Amino acid sequence: MSIRSLKSRWGFFFWIAFLSLLLAAAMIGCAMVGVIKFSLSEMWTSPVFWQLRAPRIALSVLVGATLSVCGASYQSIFRNPLTDPYILGISSGASLGAAIAIICGLSAYIWGIGICSLATALITVFLIYNIASIGNRLHTTTLLLTGVCITFLITAVVSFLMVLHQDKMESIIFWTMGSFSTASWADVLLLLPICVGGLFVIHYYSKDLNLILAGTETAQSLGVEVEKVKRRLLAVTTLMVAFAVSTCGVIGFVGLVVPHCVRLVLGSDNRKVVPASFLVGALFLLLCDTLARTALMPNELPVGSLTAIVGAPLFIFLLYRNKPRT
Amino acid sequence: MIRIEHLSYSFGKQPILNDISLHVAQGSFTALLGPNGCGKTTLLRCIGGLLKPQKGSISLQDRDLRDYNPRQLAQQLSFVRQQASTDFEFTASDLVMMGRNPYQKHLENESQSDRQLVEQCMRQTNTWHLRESFPREMSGGELQRVMIARALAQSTPIMLLDEPTSNLDIAHQFDIMEMLSNICQRQGKTILLVVHDLNLALRYCPQAVLLHNYGIIAHGAIENVLTSNNIRTAFGIESEEVGGTLRFYR
Repeated sequence: MSIRSLKSRWGFFFWIAFLSLLLAAAMIGCAMVGVIKFSLSEMWTSPVFWQLRAPRIALSVLVGATLSVCGASYQSIFRNPLTDPYILGISSGASLGAAIAIICGLSAYIWGIGICSLATALITVFLIYNIASIGNRLHTTTLLLTGVCITFLITAVVSFLMVLHQDKMESIIFWTMGSFSTASWADVLLLLPICVGGLFVIHYYSKDLNLILAGTETAQSLGVEVEKVKRRLLAVTTLMVAFAVSTCGVIGFVGLVVPHCVRLVLGSDNRKVVPASFLVGALFLLLCDTLARTALMPNELPVGSLTAIVGAPLFIFLLYRNKPRT
Repeated sequence: MIRIEHLSYSFGKQPILNDISLHVAQGSFTALLGPNGCGKTTLLRCIGGLLKPQKGSISLQDRDLRDYNPRQLAQQLSFVRQQASTDFEFTASDLVMMGRNPYQKHLENESQSDRQLVEQCMRQTNTWHLRESFPREMSGGELQRVMIARALAQSTPIMLLDEPTSNLDIAHQFDIMEMLSNICQRQGKTILLVVHDLNLALRYCPQAVLLHNYGIIAHGAIENVLTSNNIRTAFGIESEEVGGTLRFYR
């Protein structure tokens, strides 16, 4: 089967079915391994499984899906294959809100951290969009540099906050490193509607995203209300990223790696890229987190460092490949 | 068809177009001519709804441009830009299918008739054999023909083209202009295009508009527009017509 025939309609349904089954199998498989090993039959009756393992599996799946779908839409909105929530600084922006919420004692409420993350993430998006757009255009270099600078700035502010509030340092560090070790069903129930709802909104606009990807003015002259679509999607994706970050902290590069790999196989059509990124992202972060908790048992690796080990080289590769030929 | 009244556009304090009035008749094939920076592209983009003029009005089919929503406008006019490239990969047939977007609902997939129309437009522009190719695999002329196929798939009564022949060799320039001329005659579309090469315009376009110093200095049948007087005013170049071709000298 050639790559191009896989891009056909039936080929795509085959892929979605295959990925869904693979994800389901991987969730069960990953649930069985760990410090406590379960057999398939005893797993369902164990309280340890239901209270610790299962929510962690579910949350990593949801966060992976959320970050990948957002990455795919940022790449279309900004017309740049190098963007993802982490590189744009939006994840860091959300982590600042989380830190502020913890200091103010809002972390007692399940929505508290989420709302604060959302507020700071929105401010970050607004800043980046306005700094990086010159006239009607977004410049790649300015966009990436703005993201990097904002990440530095926010990391500095968060460190500053940690020093000022040393009693809360540990719980803030958790948000800057990214981890699923404290996953609970409450987190899952918080993120689930946002993640699934967001997926449908992005899917609804996926044809418009294709046109924006082909050129902002092209999209406009083909009947897309570009600015309106961009604003709505930025709001929705920022909401998704902020709440994902509020449950597990900053995990980088997922939104970069996953849509890129999906595009290699399925092409650039967002009607396929968005749903496929959802499943592949879920699978990717599930495997990364399982590796993070099993590789050096009983110690845990930070899952963010694992995704960065995969993601950073790919980012450099993409940057290299897009280098203008002289 | 296209009626422009007292249109002015400025970029910051810099005027680009000043008090332009123009009427483009239905089914005409009109070249927009003028020196670099005279506002040809700006005028075309104003008509295409991509720029909002500060003063004056534009109406299509006796209806003000501002009363069209983007979707309705995309059913009235198609716009072919100068070389548009993208890092992302869409095949030629994907790109042409995008022309059907103004007629499709959000979650609707392309219909059988959409696919037939896309094939027809691609055959008409001699690009059907390229349907599985990506823009980076095509030559400049091929990509330009794909973009024209997309404009045709949009099924609009008006087509606007911004320098469709730039960066093409002479044979491909002739191909594109012949194709547009045919489209205009057979399908009765109104075509307005920016052209740099005066002889190319003279050869194919019956009508022309000559811009200079933010305004129109001549409009009408191309022989009456491209007189040596007008060319001297607009370009500062002497010219004479020899056997239907312009010769230029200083």
